[in-house]
Amino acid sequence: MRASQRSAAALPTTTEVSMLVDNGSAWTKGAVVGRSRGRWRIAAHAAQPSSWQDADLVAGLAAHLGGHADPRVSERLQRILADAPRISCHTPSRPGRLALAAVSADLSGRAARRAAESAGWVVAEAATVDDGRSAAERLVALQAAEVDAWLLAGGFDAEGGEMALDMAGLVAAARGDGRSPVVWAGSAQLAARVASLFEPGAVRAVANPRPSPEREEPLPLRRYLEALLERLVEPGGARQLAPVGFGRAVAELARASQLRIAGVDLGARYATWIAADEGGHAESRILASGGLASPSITVPGGPARIAHALPIAIDELAVADALQNLRARPGALPQTEEELSIVHGAARALLAELAADESVPDGADLLIGAGRTVAGAPRPAQAMQLLLDGVRPLGVTQLAIDVAGVLPPLGALGNDEIAEGIGTLRDDLLTPLGAAVVSQGGRAGHVAFRVTVHRVGWPSLGPIEVRAGQLTLLPLGRGQVAELEIELESGVTIGTPRRARRSHATVSGGVVGLALDARDVPLVLPRRTDDRRAVLAAWRDALQREPTRPAGSAA
Amino acid sequence: MNGSSLHRIRLQRGTALAVRVGAEIRPDEVIGLRREPLAPILVPVARPLRRKPDEIAEAMRVRPGSRVRAGEVLARINGHEVAAPQTGLVLGVSRGDGSILLAPLGPEEPVIGHVRGRVHAIEENALVVEVPAATVTGVGGSGDAVHGELVVGVHNPEDELRAAAIDVGATGKILVGGSRASAEALTRARAMGVAGIVLGGVLDKELRDFEAIQRRRREAGGMTGSFGLLLLEGFGKVGIDPQLFSWFRAHAGRMASLFGADGLLYIYDAGSAPTRRPLPRVGDRIVAHRRPFQGRGGVVVALLEDLHATSSGIPTSMALVRFEDGRLAPVPLANIEATVAPDGR
Repeated sequence: MRASQRSAAALPTTTEVSMLVDNGSAWTKGAVVGRSRGRWRIAAHAAQPSSWQDADLVAGLAAHLGGHADPRVSERLQRILADAPRISCHTPSRPGRLALAAVSADLSGRAARRAAESAGWVVAEAATVDDGRSAAERLVALQAAEVDAWLLAGGFDAEGGEMALDMAGLVAAARGDGRSPVVWAGSAQLAARVASLFEPGAVRAVANPRPSPEREEPLPLRRYLEALLERLVEPGGARQLAPVGFGRAVAELARASQLRIAGVDLGARYATWIAADEGGHAESRILASGGLASPSITVPGGPARIAHALPIAIDELAVADALQNLRARPGALPQTEEELSIVHGAARALLAELAADESVPDGADLLIGAGRTVAGAPRPAQAMQLLLDGVRPLGVTQLAIDVAGVLPPLGALGNDEIAEGIGTLRDDLLTPLGAAVVSQGGRAGHVAFRVTVHRVGWPSLGPIEVRAGQLTLLPLGRGQVAELEIELESGVTIGTPRRARRSHATVSGGVVGLALDARDVPLVLPRRTDDRRAVLAAWRDALQREPTRPAGSAA
Repeated sequence: MNGSSLHRIRLQRGTALAVRVGAEIRPDEVIGLRREPLAPILVPVARPLRRKPDEIAEAMRVRPGSRVRAGEVLARINGHEVAAPQTGLVLGVSRGDGSILLAPLGPEEPVIGHVRGRVHAIEENALVVEVPAATVTGVGGSGDAVHGELVVGVHNPEDELRAAAIDVGATGKILVGGSRASAEALTRARAMGVAGIVLGGVLDKELRDFEAIQRRRREAGGMTGSFGLLLLEGFGKVGIDPQLFSWFRAHAGRMASLFGADGLLYIYDAGSAPTRRPLPRVGDRIVAHRRPFQGRGGVVVALLEDLHATSSGIPTSMALVRFEDGRLAPVPLANIEATVAPDGR
C-alpha cells in the first residue's frame, strides 16, 4: 500500500515532523509523526514492498497527508518528509547460521536447538549420534555447512558423557583450521576436555541447557547466543534490528502501563514473541526462520496441515504452490480470497508454533499483533481471529494491533529516549481490537461458561451462555469499558490461579468487540472434512459479521 | 543483470585450491582437489605403547581435527610409537579402549567451479570469481551447479516441457523448458544426461516427487552426473516471460552456467538479458506474479488513484493492466514488475 487507511491529522505550519521507518525483508513500513495542537500524533502511515525506493514511500506518505496539511506546506511535503529526522530499524540482513552437534536429537540436541532458534539463529546443519547417518556422512555434512559458529551439546552434568566428546571430535575435524567460534553447552565435567580439542580461546563453555534428563534450562545458552549473534552478525547495531526493537518497545509499554503484555510480530522471515511483565522485564524468542516466507511452512506435511485447517476447500497441491510463491515473492499481495485464506492459515500455524513454547506464560493482560499479515489484515476481525486462533490466549485478554508498524522503530530509540517516545505516542500506537474471554476444557455442546456484561449507563447483557466449541462476538465499542462476571462450568478454566468458578474482569472495547471463545486450548477441530470446514466457517463468520446482542438479552 | 558480476563458489572444508587470485578459469576447469572422508577406523594406541587406555593422553602427537599422512606418528612415548596406517582425519581419542578414531581420506576428486571468469578473491571456504556474463536470476531452484550449452526445448513460453521431447540431443546441455515439467520429465532429463533445466514454473509436488526419486537413487548408489534446476517465475504452471524467452532463443548455443540452489544462470558471450524493475509506470510491459494472473504479461494502461481493494479485501495501490490475452484488469502494483528489454524498451 502506498497510502494509509488512517485519518491524517493536520500538519502545523511549523512542520515539526519525524519519520518512523521499519525496513523489513519484504515490506517497508513508514509513519509520519507530527505535532498537532500541541500533541505529537501519528499523522499518516504507509507500507510498500521493500524493493521500491525510499522516495516512493515518501511520495506515498506525502500524497496521503496532502489533503489534510496546511496549504502553506502541502507543496513542500515531499521535501519536508525526505528531510525529516528518522528513527529507523531493519530486519537483520542475514540470519546467523550455526552447525549443531549433539548426542541425541531428542534431549541435548532438542534443548540446544530450541535455545539457538529462540535466540535468532538458523541451525544450518545438525548432527547427532542417533541421526541415522554414519560418522563419515556426518563429517561430510558438517564440512559442507557454511556457518558462523558451532554449537556442541551433550552429556548430563552429573555424568559426563564420552559420546559428547566423540561429537566434539567430529566438529574439530570438520572445522579444521577455521576461525569460527565454538560453544560448548554440554556436561560441565567435559568442558576442559572439549576445549583441549580446539586451539586456545576457540571454545566458550556455557551452562548445559539439558543438565539432567528431566530438566531443561535453555535461558543461559539463549542469552549467550543472542550476544554472540549480535557480535558476529550485526556488531554494534542490535538495537536497530526490528525484532530487538519490537521487544524493547513492548517491554517499555508494559512498564509504562503496568500491564503484562505479550506481543507477536510475524514478518516475512522473522517471527518474534515477547512476554513482558508489569515491571518491563521481558522474555523474548526471535525465530530467524519463523516468518511466513520461511522454509518451515513448506516442509513435507506443512501444506497438508494448513489445508486441513482452512474454512474453504482448497486442494493441498494448490496450498503448497501458494506457500512456495509466498516464499519466493514475499513482497507480493494475496490478490484472491483463496490466497488470503492460505496466507492466514499459514499465519495461524506459525503463531501457534511460536506461542506453543512452554516458556510463554499464560494470562497476559494485553496481546499485541504486529507484522503485515496480522496488523495489516483487510478487516480487523481477521486480525482478531489470527491472534485468537494462533496464540490461544487463555483467560481475559485485551487484543490490539500495531497497524502503523511503529513499535519496532520506536524500540530502536536509546535507553534514555524510549520511555519518552512510547509515552508521547501512547494513544496512537495501537489499534484496540477489543477483548476476549478464552476458556479451556468443557464437554462439546455443553455450556462452558456464562458471562454477564455490565456497562455504565447501559443495561446489563446476559448472562450469556457460551457452549464448548462456540465463539460469540458481542458489541463493545472502542473506549467502552465493561465489567464482566464470568461463571465457569465444571472442568472449564480460564487460567485463573484458584479453582474459582466465578471471576470478574474489566475489559475495554475496540473495533471488533468482545469475543467469548470456548473453543478450547489448543483448538479442537472435527475429524470429518465437511464438519471441520463447517465449524471453521462458522467461527470465521462469527467474528466477521457485525456483532449482535444475544437473543433474549436486555436492549 | 548484465556485464560482469561476482560469483561466490562455496568450497567444502578440506578442499585444496589449485588456482590463485587473478587466474582465469573455465567452467570445466579443476579449481581444487578434495578427498572425502571414508568410514572411520580404530587405530589401537594403548597396547602398542604398553600403556593403560587412560594413560595415552601424554603420548598423543595429534588431536581430533588433525589431518595426518600415512606413516605419520600419532602417538609416541619411551621409544614406542604408533603411526597412521592411512592418510586421514583424526576424529577422536578414546580413553575407554585407548584407540584413535581415524577417518581415512578417499582418492583425490576434482572440484569444478562451473563458471568462466577471473578469480577475484579467496575467502575462508569460498572462491570469488568475476564472471563476465549476462545474468538471469530466478525465484528458486534446486540441485547442483552445472554448465553446458543453452538449448530451448519448447516452442512457446507457455508450453509444458514434455518427457517425450527430451532426447540424447540434450545430453550435457542446459534446457530451457516452458511453463512446467512433470517429475517424469525431470527424471528423464536427468537420466538422459541433461545438465540442467530452466523453467517458468513447476508444481511443488512434481519437484518434491523428483527430489524424492533422486534421493532414493542416490541412496541406492545408481546416480551419476550433476543436475540443476532453475525456476524463473514461481510455483504452479507459470510461463516464462515472452521477452526473456525470445532472448533465450536468440542465445541458444551459448555456454551457460546454472546454479539451482542460488537461483542463478550465467550466459557467456551474450548480449544483455531483459531485466525487471519494480513499481511499473504507464506504458510499461509487465509480468504479474500472483494469482489469478501469475506469469501473464501485459501493459500498464493506467495507475489508479487512491487505494482500491483486491478481491481478497486488501486496500492497495493498483494498476490497470491490459494483458496479452486482451483482458483488462486492475492488479496490485506490488504484484507486477516492469520487464525491461536490453535496449531499455
